[in-house]
Amino acid sequence: MSRLETRGLCLSFGGIRALDGVDLSVEAGEIRGIIGPNGAGKTTLLNAICGLTPPSEGVVLLDGEPVSGLKPSAIAARGIGRTFQTSMLFGGMTVLENVMTGLHQHMSANVFTAALGLPSVRREDTDAREKALAALDFVNMRQFAERDGAALSFGQQRLVEIARALISEPTVLLLDEPAVGLSPPRVQELDLLLRRIRDERGITIVMIEHVIRLVMGVCDRITVLNSGAKIAEGTGDEIIENREVQEAYLGKAIDAAD
Amino acid sequence: MSTDMDNASRRSLAALLVGRRTVFLLGTLAFAVWPLAFNPYLAYAANLALIYILLAVGLNFIIGFAGQLVFANGALMGIGAYCTGLLMYDGGWPFWLALPAGAVLSCIIGLLVALPALRLQGLYLALGTVAFAQFALWVFIHWEGLTYGNAGFVLPPISFEAIGLGKDLGLYYLSLALVLVFVLIAYRISRSRVGRAFIAVRESEVAAEALAIDLTVYKTIAYGVSALYAGLAGGLFTALLGVVVPESFNLFQIVLQFAMVIIGGLGSIAGAIIGAVALISLQELLRGFQEVQEIAFGALLLATLLFFPGGIAAALKRWVPGWTETHHQDGGGRS
Repeated sequence: MSRLETRGLCLSFGGIRALDGVDLSVEAGEIRGIIGPNGAGKTTLLNAICGLTPPSEGVVLLDGEPVSGLKPSAIAARGIGRTFQTSMLFGGMTVLENVMTGLHQHMSANVFTAALGLPSVRREDTDAREKALAALDFVNMRQFAERDGAALSFGQQRLVEIARALISEPTVLLLDEPAVGLSPPRVQELDLLLRRIRDERGITIVMIEHVIRLVMGVCDRITVLNSGAKIAEGTGDEIIENREVQEAYLGKAIDAAD
Repeated sequence: MSTDMDNASRRSLAALLVGRRTVFLLGTLAFAVWPLAFNPYLAYAANLALIYILLAVGLNFIIGFAGQLVFANGALMGIGAYCTGLLMYDGGWPFWLALPAGAVLSCIIGLLVALPALRLQGLYLALGTVAFAQFALWVFIHWEGLTYGNAGFVLPPISFEAIGLGKDLGLYYLSLALVLVFVLIAYRISRSRVGRAFIAVRESEVAAEALAIDLTVYKTIAYGVSALYAGLAGGLFTALLGVVVPESFNLFQIVLQFAMVIIGGLGSIAGAIIGAVALISLQELLRGFQEVQEIAFGALLLATLLFFPGGIAAALKRWVPGWTETHHQDGGGRS
């Protein structure tokens, strides 16, 4: 059984078919890359998986259990974590508090126990603080814990977002262009981090990425989308050789013969 | 490294001297001795300020923390006021029972308002809740069989003999005690898992949902908490004025409360408190110039939005060493 599976996902916006029967099957412990030209439906696919824009047809299965149709917060609670293309750090909170917010589903304080300031609430918060510091350690951002998130660089914000998603202990982590705007050495660090997320945390990763070196280096398998449909799937080498993929990116080759 | 340490220790020393804790302590002390030191009119004004602290801190939950542009709190305050007043006037209930009953009813109505309002956002939410406020006002005025209409009614006397105080002092210290308790509660909630969920909802609904935060649940909680504060303040307001009339809960009431939270700084509890005290002081200084009052508040509100979007809280953060406050919304978009 696959960790994450989609069967025949379809989604239309007006007359545009953004997803056209996408089948995806990601094994546990895999790092899967999703590539494709602009407008191919990559982000739409992630949004359909995590429930932000529910698919009009098809199902999403997590460990064989259907999750499509649930609210995005319920899908997240089942274990599908997510980061976004643009930074979504919460303003008005420190970096540490941002990461602590990721522990939401693993904490139990409610408005009444919080208002009463019960010792259990305080203990839980102290625990959360330590876990969040450990998560920041994992992405090498601990020294920024007390900073305002908005004061960080783009790449640093991205790392904090990853820490915030990791701390919620997802089984599958969806990353939308994690390397965008990073310098080559930072991309190298991200490559390492992604491997550690899989190896040390046992988290399966599905990642949209345009930085081809990262995709080729870290992904076990790559899925190529074009116009909302899957046109190829395989290892990096297989994808590079694939005729249809070349055409999707570069246009049809003019036949030199004759 | 060593300069870092020096800075850190200097900051913590400054925090000890002028930090939030010290300011709160001094503020509490000032409010505690105020009615003993000054004449009854100034004591009345300070009591009014205490009631508006509850209103502003409550309104901050929904517009400052959860980021929902809701204009229902003037009406919810009215519901608390009418419920407390009518239970005493018609039902013969004692004040100490009627007051919490008003707060609870207001909280329930606030949750009922949340049901349809959860489907709305931004401008539509604002319009929907203004409509609710106008509807509530209409009920206060026209359901004469229940509310006694435009003329309102006079509250039966309230006695604080049980704690050995006259009505004015008794109500004053009750208000002060409730403010202390409910400000403490506000801080506890804001620093908890629930408070972080509010801010997540305010900052990005999409990112909040990706962290398994249920938007419906946390918006509803914010409505409920906010309404509870408004209802409680409404009951105290009724007791302070001694009469209940619908015009107390008109559009100006909404503007006044919004001005307090925005001038204080959206998302800042300390800001809401300072905003409430500042605007009640201004209102009392301008007493007798009703039109000037409304223009002055409108102008202040506008000037804050245009030039100091972070409000007083942003100024405190910038200029007072050691003043830290999380969750404050520092004037949208500036870095």
